[in-house]
Amino acid sequence: MISSRWTPYLFLAPALAGLLVFKLVPIAVAVGGSLTGMSLMGDLRFAGLENFEYLFTDPEFWSSLKITLLFNLIINPLQLAVAFALALLVFQPMPGLWFFRTLLVLPMAVSTGISAVLFGLFLDGNLGPLNGFLEWIGIGAQPFHRSQEQALATLIGIATWKGAGYWMLFLLAGLYSIPASVHEAARIDGASAWQRFRYVTLPMMRKPMAFVLVADTAINFLFFAPVYILTSGGPSGATSVLMFQAYRAAFTFSDIGRSLAISTILLAILVVIVVLEFRLLRAPEEERS
Amino acid sequence: MHIGRRQFMAGLAGTAFIGSLGRLNAQSVSLSVPWMGWPEEQVRPLMAAFENESGVAIAEERLPIVELFKTLEVRLQARNETPDVYLVDGPLTASYAARGHLLDLGELMAGERDRFVPTTLVQGTYNDTLYAMPLGTSSQLLFYNKKLFAEAGLPEPSADPAARMTWEDLVPLARDLTRPDSSQFGFAFENINPYQLLAVPQSWGAEVIGPDGLTAAGYVDGEAMVEAMSWYQALFQTHKVGPVGTFQTGVTQEMFGSGKLAMMVGGTWNLVGLNKFQDLDFGVAPHPYFAKGKPVTPTGSWHVGINPRTAHMDEATAFVKWLSTRDAMDLWFELRQYPPALKQIWEERADTTFVDPAWAIVRHELAETATPRPATPGYREYEEFLRTAMQDIQTGADVRDTLARAAQNIDREMRKYR
Repeated sequence: MISSRWTPYLFLAPALAGLLVFKLVPIAVAVGGSLTGMSLMGDLRFAGLENFEYLFTDPEFWSSLKITLLFNLIINPLQLAVAFALALLVFQPMPGLWFFRTLLVLPMAVSTGISAVLFGLFLDGNLGPLNGFLEWIGIGAQPFHRSQEQALATLIGIATWKGAGYWMLFLLAGLYSIPASVHEAARIDGASAWQRFRYVTLPMMRKPMAFVLVADTAINFLFFAPVYILTSGGPSGATSVLMFQAYRAAFTFSDIGRSLAISTILLAILVVIVVLEFRLLRAPEEERS
Repeated sequence: MHIGRRQFMAGLAGTAFIGSLGRLNAQSVSLSVPWMGWPEEQVRPLMAAFENESGVAIAEERLPIVELFKTLEVRLQARNETPDVYLVDGPLTASYAARGHLLDLGELMAGERDRFVPTTLVQGTYNDTLYAMPLGTSSQLLFYNKKLFAEAGLPEPSADPAARMTWEDLVPLARDLTRPDSSQFGFAFENINPYQLLAVPQSWGAEVIGPDGLTAAGYVDGEAMVEAMSWYQALFQTHKVGPVGTFQTGVTQEMFGSGKLAMMVGGTWNLVGLNKFQDLDFGVAPHPYFAKGKPVTPTGSWHVGINPRTAHMDEATAFVKWLSTRDAMDLWFELRQYPPALKQIWEERADTTFVDPAWAIVRHELAETATPRPATPGYREYEEFLRTAMQDIQTGADVRDTLARAAQNIDREMRKYR
């Protein structure tokens, strides 16, 4: 008979095996691969830190890193704020609520690739209906993803359109989990609507918000498809995020070592930022413990 | 019903026999062949003709140009048996051959070389070895919409290469033909690929790559290149005669075909491709050039190569050999009208197809002005960065900065070939 000491591990084994095969091994392969180089004829050789050294002396890498950080600095708080605002909006009981909720989560049903193509048509400088509308109301046509100044903002807009409804669902569930009695007690104590939001809702939403922020950051650091489909990293590198650089290195220039080095750096940055985010959103009572 | 042992065994044997027939059927060879995303009616008939003759199935995949290069890159770098046969853009021969992705065709094509127009063999050759069989060559013409010229009361451009229009003359003409109120543009290049656009700086007098074929700094961002590409940018940003952000061949063809674009520099494939626009009446003229420079026209085309690791070597070589026959090449010409690679097709059609003034221009260009793309094993990297730079320049990016950045990126990627 198997000793009871091992029983929990046995039950965990399938999940641990999945974690190993689908997460830890690929990470190890990526980190290992970042230390290799490939000859023209496909022979692999150990290159040490050569790929990293080369990246650190390459202005293209630094510019791409800057863009990735800027993109995330804007998009993550923005998506959290928009998702939270939407959640508060559809949390209030009102007639036809189901309709608005459906409308907000609808972009989830459109694949990222399709939505990028649709926005490409929608925002097109010559054929796009949005520019027709902007001209009609007197603002004038905008270049959107075709301009160095507006491209990153356009991608942030598209990603937020697609993502906000999804993240809203988690925050809405969080809002429902706040006991009505707490709000009631605050009301009896004479707290105004703003005070109830500031001192009851917000602190009790810390956990769902932390989850959304961390999960959203992880996804946005790997933001890729709209860049590939709409801008190819341009104009003039304005949307050349690190994920796109990693893709291009691997699949256009067959430089797997460089690609994996970029992925490894991306992973390291992501770990640091996620740890920081967790700390930032930790409830005060957890900090004391 | 009672089944005895004998009946059972007979049944088993019968099932096994039928099963083996099924396997035999499944063993009939199908070649994996990545191809350009041309319309199906320009691809399938060629494949079907070989299938009928050989019994070998061709599973062609029609991919848009950029996807084709990426797909090939991923599959070839996996270094396994697929694809079997693939389409090779002429200047990429060196890149694939240097990395062991192309079978030496020397033996297969021995004794056949004299049948080809010599220049077409050059781009399929690397280190004096033929690696890719030319399917044709290419040339570019100025297509113009006769109706739009008549409406604007403008004289049509001359079809005589000796009276070739200059870019300086084209700009005011394009301006007169641009009607912003009806979204009509005066002029555009068919796409933003270096294949087509390098003729602009080359006509200006620019050297577009260093003499070693591996240096971009000082060439891609050289003074002549910056000046020529500033002229290109002005077409879109200052004169506003071209549709900004239109990068794809299909869209430009659609605009020209539907009368929204008065002039277009495009390939000979448009001679058949534009037939689908029934209301379109177009003429052709020679490719323009800069008055201070010399006439330069793009050339070079698609070749066919064999993956040396193919599991179906006999069928793959048979397919390429068949593609080099007179009948296959004639059918291919019929389908897409690339200037032929075989001398025989030129001769046979001399009194029919090639009496058309468009082909008189093409013959002149191929003999006098055709300038192939740079010969470098790093052409893939060179083209990718230059294409992005040309997009950015068209949409208004600073020309000098954009080219400097492209040169720096190209040089970085070229290091593996040095």
